[in-house]
Amino acid sequence: MASVELTRVAKSFGSTKVIHGIDLRVDDGEFVVFVGPSGCGKSTLLRMIAGLESVTDGTIRISDVVVNALPPRARDIAMVFQDYALYPHKSVYENICFGLRLRKTSAAELDRRVREAADILQIAHLLDRYPRALSGGQRQRVAMGRAIVRDPQLFLFDEPLSNLDALLRNEMRTEIKKLHRRLRATSIYVTHDQVEAMTLADRIVVLSGGHLMQLGSPDDIYHRPVSKFVAGFTGSPPMNFLPASVARPNGVALVELAGGRERFALPARWQALGATLVGRDFEFGIRPEDIGVEARGNDVAEIASTVIVTEPLGAENLVTLGTAGGELTARFAAGVAPRPDEALRLRLDLSHMHLFDRQTGEALRP
Amino acid sequence: MSSPAVDLRASRPRLRLVDRIADPSERVLALLLLAPAALFLGLIVVYPIARLVYNSFFDLRMSGGQSAPFVAFENYALALTDKIFWNALWNTLLITIITVIGALLVGLGLALLANLPYRIRWPVRLALLLPWAMPLAFAGLIFAWFFNTDYGVINDWVTRLGFAPLQWLLQPGTAFAAVCIAIIWKSSSFIGLILLAGLQMIPRSLYEAAEVDGATRFQQFREVTLPLLVPSIVVALIFRTITALQTFDIPYTMTKGGPAHATETLAMLIHSTTIDYGDIGYGSTLAVLMFIVSMAVTAVYLRRLQRD
Repeated sequence: MASVELTRVAKSFGSTKVIHGIDLRVDDGEFVVFVGPSGCGKSTLLRMIAGLESVTDGTIRISDVVVNALPPRARDIAMVFQDYALYPHKSVYENICFGLRLRKTSAAELDRRVREAADILQIAHLLDRYPRALSGGQRQRVAMGRAIVRDPQLFLFDEPLSNLDALLRNEMRTEIKKLHRRLRATSIYVTHDQVEAMTLADRIVVLSGGHLMQLGSPDDIYHRPVSKFVAGFTGSPPMNFLPASVARPNGVALVELAGGRERFALPARWQALGATLVGRDFEFGIRPEDIGVEARGNDVAEIASTVIVTEPLGAENLVTLGTAGGELTARFAAGVAPRPDEALRLRLDLSHMHLFDRQTGEALRP
Repeated sequence: MSSPAVDLRASRPRLRLVDRIADPSERVLALLLLAPAALFLGLIVVYPIARLVYNSFFDLRMSGGQSAPFVAFENYALALTDKIFWNALWNTLLITIITVIGALLVGLGLALLANLPYRIRWPVRLALLLPWAMPLAFAGLIFAWFFNTDYGVINDWVTRLGFAPLQWLLQPGTAFAAVCIAIIWKSSSFIGLILLAGLQMIPRSLYEAAEVDGATRFQQFREVTLPLLVPSIVVALIFRTITALQTFDIPYTMTKGGPAHATETLAMLIHSTTIDYGDIGYGSTLAVLMFIVSMAVTAVYLRRLQRD
């Protein structure tokens, strides 16, 4: 297996710069996910690592070897494509063994490895079929089989689940995770789906506009986002943001929402920082699961709200609420299903609150 | 236990024709809806062919007056013993084989060239389209000029290279080659266009997958491009072969079939028999034979297409 190191990697198409000097190291056996909205450069970055796109600036190393000038076939990588890229005129068996055949692997060894990969992916019964006779999930498995059969030093996945329906996507996500646990292969996975990123990754790289916004564990990204962008990109539903300011009328720093119509004291650990924030504009951030109707813990703020709509999901209810500062989405337990127009006193768990600079979007930390 | 068979048709009341038209069954309705198209097709396709076959059994001449004697298969017997017919058939088949293969190879090259990721693609595409858009007779005249013994550009190059100029269109072998070159030039752009469309249907990700799998450019061509281009190649071959069997304009404008029938095709022989000599009966016979050859070749291709 291999490590991957990107040093000030940049990419331009003509005069348009799409990747802006990214530094990143993926350790041996690690599963790293590139996540970001459409057009953020995540697929381009992956294709640069694969050798399918040239590198405008910087260096890419795989196993400490600079690969900028190496063609894909010389990088010892395998890639699973968004559309699976199965050869339609070859059977499943031929699709899986194609790479081995090109490397002049002996017939016996080739057959052994194809059948082993097929067994792992539970597609042994499909080996004689052609891609047109396979379902989306089966094609996905064949594409994975083609990747693992070569035992490459690096696996690259370019949105491999985006063409599957929701149920199959969940199933295949688990399969990929199981496969990685089994093979412990260094893997880089691109997705725009933050759930995939959170569930699969050892570490997540959040990209936006060709810039690396944050690199960290799923826990870091979710609980300690460095910016409003990262905070808003993770979580389903995402974090709520309300325009806010900080006041300190009696020596206690307060968060003011809606021009002071709602105000509550900052938790003790925020007080020192809060004193320096008076007069600036912020976005107050709180996740749906940190909003309740019953008091939880000590750092709780109460604000008035009116129920706009309740969306029952079975195990829980998503409730959209109108407050003086704007709309909020809350995640309530299944038993809490308020009716539209019902007035609710909300309890915000401030131990999980966030403040973001309204100008720069940067997160503030107490 | 088997139940006794019931004949449902026997219990159905028999409808009068008027009732069946007023309230047609699905089958009758289908026939009624198809009738206009069938009638039209009959008029423009079936009738001319039937008339051609009919004429081939008569000694029908432009100068023969109102009544033409029925000669049964005499015209066919004449054709099968006619050296000029066999020569024209041989020329036609040879031109078909040479120019179809030649145009396929050149067309494939042109399609691959036009499919390269040029920044500005339209000049390449236009260059590919131009020979196809040009009238056949015009292409024949251009190449007749190219191969002209005294003023042609080909002999200009030949003499510049230090060789003696050739009488291209006046010797059987070189005239045949010149005609084939002109036909390949004219028809390869058509094949190129069909193959270009086929190439553009091949997803780029297949090449990328092959590249990651370790395929060189040549291996990508052999393992991805060619197999996926087969349906387009077969379609191009069918169209091109059928038109090659009907070759007329280019040899007609370049050589008039000469020297000594060396470049005369079946279509040209039919033309000269019917138009120049006014022998419509024999000309029809030759046309029927050519039709049979065309149908036989097309059937072979269609069988192949169905198998794919």
